[in-house]
Amino acid sequence: MIPWSAFVYVEWWTRAHRNHRFSLWIPLFLAWLLLLPLVLILFPVVALACLFVRVNALRLYAAAWSILSSLPKTRVEVRAAGTRVLVDVA
Amino acid sequence: MNDDRKSILELLAAGKITAEEAERLLAALEARRDSSPANSAVEDPTPAEGSAAGRAQVPAKGRAKYLRVLVEADEHSTGLKGGPTTVNVRVPMQLLRAGVRLAGLIPAQAHEQLDQAFSKHGVPITLSQIKPENLEELIDHLADLTVDVDGKDENKTRVRVFCE
Repeated sequence: MIPWSAFVYVEWWTRAHRNHRFSLWIPLFLAWLLLLPLVLILFPVVALACLFVRVNALRLYAAAWSILSSLPKTRVEVRAAGTRVLVDVA
Repeated sequence: MNDDRKSILELLAAGKITAEEAERLLAALEARRDSSPANSAVEDPTPAEGSAAGRAQVPAKGRAKYLRVLVEADEHSTGLKGGPTTVNVRVPMQLLRAGVRLAGLIPAQAHEQLDQAFSKHGVPITLSQIKPENLEELIDHLADLTVDVDGKDENKTRVRVFCE
């Protein structure tokens, strides 16, 4: 399953020890919908390029799809200098 | 010759699996037969294509799902004030496998250039040797491996890489 949404959370502390936080839910499925026409246009272009460099286009599409579909549940969290950033792909 | 053995040899003859993979599958088949001789004629261990040999080695239960990388560095290491810097990354194993599959599509003529570029930047790896079955072996070992790296004197940086 391709990622449907991503969650970004940023938290930071000011010098006055005040806590600020900011969270953002990104609906990736909307991005996929917007990108779909572009992907359809790029499909034959990529296939031609694959022919040129002698790479199996179907295997390339399959590998790209498997990368996309294995992105969910990826999580990156960084805490540094009183700031915390969290990115969670769902 | 039983059906299982025959199908493995047919896959080898068709070029769908390599000789090493066929050897592993046959060994797995033998081990399976040894452990349950009564069931060997009933069960169907016919391998699927591709990485079947790799799967035959890995037990189904307890298979790692994520690669975790935890990095903790103190202020002296990073030069950043406000406490230690920590990085916590969770990557699905499927993503690593997909990455290896994508790397397998890199044309052979580009391997040499990439290997040179890697070694130039201090990563002495041979790209052509990274195969899905090698990754499975690496994952098997990472499942119970924890790497702790401590810097010298005041530079305390701890890196832990493990599977879960």
